[in-house]
Amino acid sequence: MSTHAHAVETLTATDDWSGGSFPYHVGHKKLGMWLFIVSDALTFSALLVGYSYVRVSSDAWPAPFAFYPSIIFSTVMTLCLLASSFTMVMAVAASARRDRKKARRWIGATMLGGLTFLALHIYEWMHLINDYGLKPFTLPAAWLERWPQASPLFGATFFAITGLHMFHVLTGVLYLGYIALRIRRKTHEDVEISGLYWHFVDLVWMFVFPLIYLLSVDFHPPGH
Amino acid sequence: MSTRFASLGNLKGKQDLILNAVCLLFAAGFVLMALSNVRWAGNFFSIDSLFITLVSLLLAGIFMVVPAMWAYENGLLKTWFAAEGDDAPVAEPVPVHFEGTTKLFLSVLGFLLVLTLVEVLLAYVQVPLFLMLTILVGLSLIKAALILAYFMHLRYERMSLVYTLIPMLVICICLLFIMFPDSFRQLGLRAYR
Repeated sequence: MSTHAHAVETLTATDDWSGGSFPYHVGHKKLGMWLFIVSDALTFSALLVGYSYVRVSSDAWPAPFAFYPSIIFSTVMTLCLLASSFTMVMAVAASARRDRKKARRWIGATMLGGLTFLALHIYEWMHLINDYGLKPFTLPAAWLERWPQASPLFGATFFAITGLHMFHVLTGVLYLGYIALRIRRKTHEDVEISGLYWHFVDLVWMFVFPLIYLLSVDFHPPGH
Repeated sequence: MSTRFASLGNLKGKQDLILNAVCLLFAAGFVLMALSNVRWAGNFFSIDSLFITLVSLLLAGIFMVVPAMWAYENGLLKTWFAAEGDDAPVAEPVPVHFEGTTKLFLSVLGFLLVLTLVEVLLAYVQVPLFLMLTILVGLSLIKAALILAYFMHLRYERMSLVYTLIPMLVICICLLFIMFPDSFRQLGLRAYR
């Protein structure tokens, strides 16, 4: 109560930068999450630039993703993430109206989207590992026949980037679950911060999906 | 929610019973299909078997939506989802500030979905790799901007926050591009070997 009054008072102070106020008009937790997001964005940028570096400097690069199951699955995964971002916005909107029940339900829908993404992605990994025999530093023999002199680092880049992203999605689902469980004790800002993290995971996938999958489409898969 | 599905809640007596019974029957059928697949699939952890399980459970879930909505309208589920003490006051560090309507967010979502489908279609038009890379990254940047501006609420924050975060990020990513001349050099070196 008094904290709130204090916040309002400091927000209406005349000078933002003379101390004791919120110069960005966001709480310290939210600013912290933004700074984390910026640094994590640089981690993913570095990985994607590293992948591009290896791909550009290689004589050949495999293009193994057939329409079924890889492309159709990754497209559905993208739609899942986008839809879950939308449900997260609705959760934040409900939380801003102090409607915690609705917020909890929308967060549940968001987690469902994330879990669908994870299930499809693990299926896709298993398909590459079991059906093709892809390993981080070795290409399957069949791929070397189709793309002679292809870089053996394909698996390393693929598993590193999509694996780190999968880890982020899993963390996000756990984080959202924690917020949903304890939503009675959480401020609106806490819900908003978890939303920021979730949208960031979605945002990263918007670059991983075209760069990893859509630039390696197999137009004529063997056996078709 | 309650007004939109009011017609469903108003179905009385027999009609309710028949609708829910048919839906539950289908749902049970698909669950049975998934279970029988577990029993007789042989190797359960194969692509076909997992696919059948996933599809059956998905269809069962879809058929469960109507009975679930009926139960919700009639207050049967309220006790499960109730969050007690909803009006418990929690001190906010900063006054709550939220802008944007459901319609706006839905149209942003629509744009994002359309751009994604355009990207996938583009991947199947065989254009030169560099041109395709440019278009794909361009479209992805538009999508990222939409997510940042509307979903992450950055459009409605103070500009000082945007100026602190975004230019720094863009400059750092541009600094990473210093790698690319070297990768082209490596490719060229190999050509002369």
